[in-house]
Amino acid sequence: MNRAQNAPVHLKPAPPAAGRVLDAQLHLLDRQVIDAEGLPVTTVDDLELEGVEADSPMTAGDPPPVISALLTGPVLGTRIFGGRPPSSRLIRLPWKDVSAVDVAIKLGVRSEGLDAGWVERWIRDKIIMRIPGGKHDPH
Amino acid sequence: MKRLLGVALGILTAIGGFVDIGDLVTNAVVGSRFGMSLIWVVGVGVVGICLFADMSGRVAAVSGRATFEVIRERLGPRAGLANLGASFFINLMTVTAEVGGIALALQLVTSIHYLLWIPLAAFAVWLVIWRVRFKIMENVAGLLGLCLVVFGVALFLLQPDWGQLAGQALSPAVPQTENAAVYWFYAVGLFGAAMTPYEVFFFSSGAVEEGWKRKDLIQSRINVLAGFPLGGLLSVAIAGCAAVVLMPAGVEVTSLSQIVLPVADAGGKLALAFALVGILAATFGAALETTLSSGYTLAQFFGWSWGKFRSPGRAARFHLSMIVCLLVALGVLATGADPILITEYSVVFSAVALPLTYLPILIVANDPQYMGSDVNSRGINVAANVYLLIILAASLGAIPLMIVTGAGA
Amino acid sequence: MILTDVLGSRVTSSDGRYLGRVADARFVLDQPPPGQLLAGARLLGLIVSPHSAGSFMGYERNSVNRPWPWAQLLKWWHRGSFLVLWEDIEVMGPETVTLREGFSAYDPGLDGTGTA
Repeated sequence: MNRAQNAPVHLKPAPPAAGRVLDAQLHLLDRQVIDAEGLPVTTVDDLELEGVEADSPMTAGDPPPVISALLTGPVLGTRIFGGRPPSSRLIRLPWKDVSAVDVAIKLGVRSEGLDAGWVERWIRDKIIMRIPGGKHDPH
Repeated sequence: MKRLLGVALGILTAIGGFVDIGDLVTNAVVGSRFGMSLIWVVGVGVVGICLFADMSGRVAAVSGRATFEVIRERLGPRAGLANLGASFFINLMTVTAEVGGIALALQLVTSIHYLLWIPLAAFAVWLVIWRVRFKIMENVAGLLGLCLVVFGVALFLLQPDWGQLAGQALSPAVPQTENAAVYWFYAVGLFGAAMTPYEVFFFSSGAVEEGWKRKDLIQSRINVLAGFPLGGLLSVAIAGCAAVVLMPAGVEVTSLSQIVLPVADAGGKLALAFALVGILAATFGAALETTLSSGYTLAQFFGWSWGKFRSPGRAARFHLSMIVCLLVALGVLATGADPILITEYSVVFSAVALPLTYLPILIVANDPQYMGSDVNSRGINVAANVYLLIILAASLGAIPLMIVTGAGA
Repeated sequence: MILTDVLGSRVTSSDGRYLGRVADARFVLDQPPPGQLLAGARLLGLIVSPHSAGSFMGYERNSVNRPWPWAQLLKWWHRGSFLVLWEDIEVMGPETVTLREGFSAYDPGLDGTGTA
């Protein structure tokens, strides 16, 4: 086990940020995602970054990467047990659909058309709606 | 009247913790073997569950986030999954036991063998979850469960030696006929039952189902302070009846019919009828609570849509998972497994899972990002830390005590 | 790349000295462009913790000091954490993050950075 005896001791005050600051672990990962109608969609299992390649050196002055999508699906399993799902199996919620970040992440679109909603829709259409009363509104 | 009905959530939650099928039996066993000498544990448990249920209700009302969402968000996927595994397993065991419990209660009323009642009991539980509004469900199950107050009435009618009962309760000692390990095994069991995690999962999710907001914080606190102490008192009354009637007679409690014996002795047929309705409602309420909790925990961990306030079509995975749980319970019961034995084990396992549930609640109840100005007061934090120590001790002691004592035999 | 590839990675200086592990990634929201709901989230930098890979509650980054003693314990666990900016990162790999020569280490505190 490495011991970090080289970590810097004197820290400069951070430069002022141009906008709202979000730390991935504290404000994004594992939060509930809610669609435009208030319906829970999934949790944020991971984030996809655009504009950076793993293990390839950057040249000074490269523009910083941005979050292109919230990820869900099989990526949760690999976060728990290790490994990485192939890119084709990632389920993406594009960042442009995000409308607000609070103790839950709100989307500006309905979950009906999202890839992240297909399991829910399949179970709804193939099982739940076929049981009498499945459409019944409790109120 | 509105305020009075407004405490139904607290009462129904507490019924699942204090007077479900396993607790009905455990309370009577404890009373008949240890008299009132373990009653202090119920008191300790009531204060503990009040403390943490109050926090979980406050978090739900202020931030709109139910407890298992908070657990996932704060503990991350790995520790969150460990907690989900333990909690869900306990839930499933308890669902199984409660469905069996409903059937046992029906057997007591009708003399038809309980195995025949089991499919009907499971179907009835599903039907209520599928169709009945949350508000009606909690009011009916909660109010009918209050029929168990008849155990308190019976205790008075039995005209016991109050001085002796109070003496046992106030200066507790291990009875000469029992050994210390068994005493502490039952102490951990009673504590685990009082603080069983599905109570906070159900209570906080129920707060979201009822749409509580910051203005309902008082309502949340009234629910906590009315429901759990009442649940504790009911369990003390059941133990007290057993201590007065069954202990001197040397009856070893193994079935529901022995539990209601003191009530029949004291109050005759009418009292017996009340006790039977109460037991039926309590086991049915506990079955609803644990089945819903199974759905709540799964849905909140994975971020699925959940809630009885939505139509089943808008919370499809949530409803499917509860159907599967009930089918699994049916399968287990069909093998002839003893429902009462199942809960006695599940209570011990729940003591093991407690720390992973209650630490995240304490952390988030202190987080201004979630709570704004409604974070915990200093006094509550001190008390919560004391309880985390007790919880840790119970959690570490549970399994060794179970092995050493052969599960209290 | 996906974010959890980089979380937990070893962080070294350009001459190979071990500095700690990536505890978190910090993003900043710019002004939203017209027609979009929320601004793009641009990577500001990484939080490096010399002692522990897991970022649990972020007590080392805010002024929350309750509930005692959990907050104090976790703050101590992550003592010595620092922020490095994107400009100072040379390689962002799944295994190792390498910093540029003469990188600056900043205070990772969140208070006063516009976050509630």
